[in-house]
Amino acid sequence: MTFEMGEETRIVQGMWDISTYQYMIDGRGMKLLVDSMKEKKIRGIKCSNCGTVYVPGPTFCRKCYIDCDEVVEVQDTGEVMSFAVEMADVRGNPVEDYKLTAMIKLDGADTWIIGTITGIDWKDARIGMRVKTIWVDEPVGSLSDIDRFEAI
Amino acid sequence: MRDVGIIGVGYTPVFVSKRKDVNISEMISEAVDAAFRNTNLTPDDIDAITYGNMETFEGMNMPHLWGADHCRAIDKPYMRIATGGTTGMSTLHSAYYHVASGMHDVVMAITWEKQSEGDSQVGLGGIVMPEAVCMAQFGMDLFGGKGMGAMGGGSTGAAAYQATSYLHHSGASPEHIDKMAALERSNAALNPYAHLRKKTTVEDIQATPFIAWPLRFGHTCPTSDGATVVIVASGDKVEKLADSVAWINGVGCGTSDPATGNFIEGQITDPAEQEAAKMAAAKAFAMAGIKDPKKEIDMAEMYNGFAHQSLMWLEKLGLCDEGQAHVMLDRGALNIDGELPTNASGGVFSTNAIGASAMNRPAECALQIMRKIEGGHQIPKKIKNAVSHGWGGMFQYVTVTVLGDEPRHG
Repeated sequence: MTFEMGEETRIVQGMWDISTYQYMIDGRGMKLLVDSMKEKKIRGIKCSNCGTVYVPGPTFCRKCYIDCDEVVEVQDTGEVMSFAVEMADVRGNPVEDYKLTAMIKLDGADTWIIGTITGIDWKDARIGMRVKTIWVDEPVGSLSDIDRFEAI
Repeated sequence: MRDVGIIGVGYTPVFVSKRKDVNISEMISEAVDAAFRNTNLTPDDIDAITYGNMETFEGMNMPHLWGADHCRAIDKPYMRIATGGTTGMSTLHSAYYHVASGMHDVVMAITWEKQSEGDSQVGLGGIVMPEAVCMAQFGMDLFGGKGMGAMGGGSTGAAAYQATSYLHHSGASPEHIDKMAALERSNAALNPYAHLRKKTTVEDIQATPFIAWPLRFGHTCPTSDGATVVIVASGDKVEKLADSVAWINGVGCGTSDPATGNFIEGQITDPAEQEAAKMAAAKAFAMAGIKDPKKEIDMAEMYNGFAHQSLMWLEKLGLCDEGQAHVMLDRGALNIDGELPTNASGGVFSTNAIGASAMNRPAECALQIMRKIEGGHQIPKKIKNAVSHGWGGMFQYVTVTVLGDEPRHG
């Protein structure tokens, strides 16, 4: 007797539930940042050796690889370093309201953040453009205490 | 270190969106068989095997163990590599180290992805999962764009910021991205192992919608199913076993700050800066004895998930001055019959089985050097030195391989 090779192939549905993972992360720099945002201020960490200002602050300098804990306040104004205009959602479907988002270097910081810019036609957006933070009315100590940025 | 050469390449018969007729191991075995067929070698000739893909794209932790028989790896040393977009080239580098060190003489490097069996956005999301979960807990609106954040650019992610920054600093225009895209898609039309194979005009590209300005749908890569296998051998084995060879003369790898994604430790910087690329290229060129890459390199295969990147990498790798890549494009220098044919294969931008994408770059260079290109994209001039490049991670991890028609040393 021989085995007959059939046509059948099955596709089985799999699931890998990433919500069951638990990650440990040093959140001290993030806490420093969101606590300051409650006062509508932005604080990061400065390296005592090279002077780099990180927002949010790590507990060590990535370049010098030394511990650092000097808290510094940076401005809530900054410069657009790069930008994009989102015309589709994350699945590629077109959206009606274009959104101008930018990489922004806050005055006094060496690292960048990303935020939405309003109050300007996207066609007028430029690298080097100045922007200011628009805070929510009642900050609670969250990254969402910044509502958006506006062109100055 | 010993001389090491690529003596054969095997591809799956096609690279397409969805291989419904084979499972993962069966698909890989097609490329393994092709590599044996193309070299007239048998599994007995192989001393060790390196293997690369990215686990989150199929949601499978150890596919190399499932596929050990199809990879003809039973009873052999077997090493798995996973370094993101660079996986394919890292797998080749691993094979190179196996042989250059003197540990092994003939090594097979297997790379693949079968993206139709998973979800690419979930796979990419896996890269930043711990950071993303943490940032969400601190109030970041991950996809809505409200507040202070580390993610943006819509479905292209930070590639759109990279493109804007690159255009600004290079003086290229968005139309140059359209032009590069049309050139590469038209090259892909000549390549039987490319995925998107349609002769494409600048107007065709410009008719596609913007996803995140300055990037259009027509500037983005597909997701593909496919596998690529390369066999490398030591100098003395090349003489005994091979009828043609492309020498691996320089390898380099560079890492720098993530540029995007890791907001928690304040690591967001310019995604178009690419110090890692400069570092990796300098190392690989020095090792290969290439003193002036602008003059000595005859062809380039750049890793480009997005069409602007081909131009950007030419500058970062030192194949032209900063701001000159689009000028070369305009004068036809990047065409298959130009001074520096770039992505004659169609690039990652036309074929993207992620684990194999950074392997297809040196594989294409090797076949061009050996003049064994199938299809219509053989570069007419003699290729003495070729450079291939891989890119991935959080914008900051780069590999470079320099290949040549003769062994060269720095």
